[in-house]
Amino acid sequence: MNSIATENLVVAYEDNLVVDNLDMQLPQGKVTAIIGPNGCGKSTVLKAVGRILKPKNGMVYLNGDDIYHLSTREVAQKMAILPQSPQAPAGLTVGELVAYGRFPHQRGFGKLKNEDKSIIAWALKVTKLTELETTAVDNLSGGQRQRVWIAMALAQQTDLILLDEPTTYLDLSYQLEVLELLYRLNREQSCTIVMVLHDLNLAARFADYMVAIRGGDIICHGSPEEVMTATVLRETFHIDAEIVREPRTGRPTCISYDLIKGRNIMGEQV
Amino acid sequence: MTDQYKKIEAYKRKIALRNTTIIISCAALLIISFIISMNTGYSRLSPLDTLRTLFGGGTDKENLILFDFRLPRIVISILVGGGLALSGCMIQGISQNALADPGLLGINAGAGLMVILYVLFFGAQSFLSIFTLPFLALFGAGVTAVLIYILAFKKEEGLAPMRLILTGVAVQAGISALTTVLVVKLDDSQFDFVAAWQAGSIWGSNWKFVLTLLPWLILLIPYILFKSRVLDVLSLGDEVAYSLGASVERERRRLLAGAVALAASCVAVSGSISFVGLIAPHLARRLVGPRHRILLPICTLIGAVLVSAADTIARVIVQPSEIPTGIMVAIIGAPYFLYLLARNKQ
Repeated sequence: MNSIATENLVVAYEDNLVVDNLDMQLPQGKVTAIIGPNGCGKSTVLKAVGRILKPKNGMVYLNGDDIYHLSTREVAQKMAILPQSPQAPAGLTVGELVAYGRFPHQRGFGKLKNEDKSIIAWALKVTKLTELETTAVDNLSGGQRQRVWIAMALAQQTDLILLDEPTTYLDLSYQLEVLELLYRLNREQSCTIVMVLHDLNLAARFADYMVAIRGGDIICHGSPEEVMTATVLRETFHIDAEIVREPRTGRPTCISYDLIKGRNIMGEQV
Repeated sequence: MTDQYKKIEAYKRKIALRNTTIIISCAALLIISFIISMNTGYSRLSPLDTLRTLFGGGTDKENLILFDFRLPRIVISILVGGGLALSGCMIQGISQNALADPGLLGINAGAGLMVILYVLFFGAQSFLSIFTLPFLALFGAGVTAVLIYILAFKKEEGLAPMRLILTGVAVQAGISALTTVLVVKLDDSQFDFVAAWQAGSIWGSNWKFVLTLLPWLILLIPYILFKSRVLDVLSLGDEVAYSLGASVERERRRLLAGAVALAASCVAVSGSISFVGLIAPHLARRLVGPRHRILLPICTLIGAVLVSAADTIARVIVQPSEIPTGIMVAIIGAPYFLYLLARNKQ
């Protein structure tokens, strides 16, 4: 069963075609990582799927339903999308921001019902933020802040969460903290996770399914073992990589890489 | 865990108490300002005289001063202050820019241009002017806001807050230039009128203006308060707002239209008063934080206090003459604003 599927997806900024006729299927109940070089269109695809960008053409299906035939509110009850480094207004507390996650389930003035309150408490607990509920978001570390946004997405109670580079600007330990949280949400709350990741090794370590994109096209998709190969990385990133199994997790990992000799970064012969 | 729960409950009670205290204090300030304002002006009325007059025991002269001159002006300053502050608060939230204010959407510039054009063609003493001018000013403000919206709108991305701000600044500059050219063509009496309008002199101080302003406020304020949670979500940025299921473009268009109508109807009767829409939201945010449900009412109250107090001071500070309220607001507002900027620098 696919949670997300695109058909002939075309996305452009002005006249600049970024994604041309993309067909992509992402499995339900799994952690999916989308990888690719800068400017390959991976964030663009995520935004088009999350209806932040309107595609020029093509279809996006969410659990089999055409996303543009659902109201934006209905979509928000099924799918949450976290952009890269979102900003909270100054002075907003953790609890208040997480409570905004209830927006698509509220009507009228939006007074929080008991049900809303218990969902917010649960989201804070899962992300280990209960003790920080009354702290202002601006006063948190980068890793904590990312956890707050994830908690907000959890309060939205969707089966699917899309994340655009959730580990950007974070130190190594915070990167792991965030990815482990997402992994746990997937395994324990059966939340489908789709994320764009920059770090190949982290992607291979935490993802069940990977999609490699270059120039708006899918180069390869499948398990980390299928995608993290020298051939795929050569084609996707134009690097000459050495892949081994990481001893602690058994996942493929890239230990050494070079630019391919005789080619520039665009892959052209020089 | 239960300890934690108790701590949070205690915190929430503290915040609720704080908000109630702030609302009561603002309301008390407004009442005090109202009372002082009734007693002050060119002709002195003692508090007792005022009270007596208010309850129907005044002489003809006292009645005239209080009911026909003073009260409408006080009521207008309160309504205009609240309206401009509320509009500024919305615009800051929608543009995610704490330096935005209603002037940014060309409201003051557009209304000002219409006022000049009107005075140029029909003269300042024209009988029609007091009744038509507010509507013309409203029209000018509305047209300018729509123009800015159309220029800032892009089909692919919709309305990016930054482009809205830049377009607003550019259009305003253009209109100001045009205004300056037209000012040269005014004769003395026309010039005096336009200068007073531009300085925000609350020129329309009679009950008819209260009646033209009131319906707008009665319609718009409840609508805006009802939309406070949409404003909350929009202040998280477009992408998060989409994710949470807000119809970002549509909501923003409606809320901007609401903010423009509110500010324009205020400016139309008071003349060009700026700074309230900038300062009141700042003060309110520092007092109660960024959640619009509590922020909007507090901001409205603060704006009302600010303008009514400024108007009172403006009437007494250089007696027997008076300075325009708009200038007084700026005299109070500018130092506070500089203080804010200096504090942010650190």
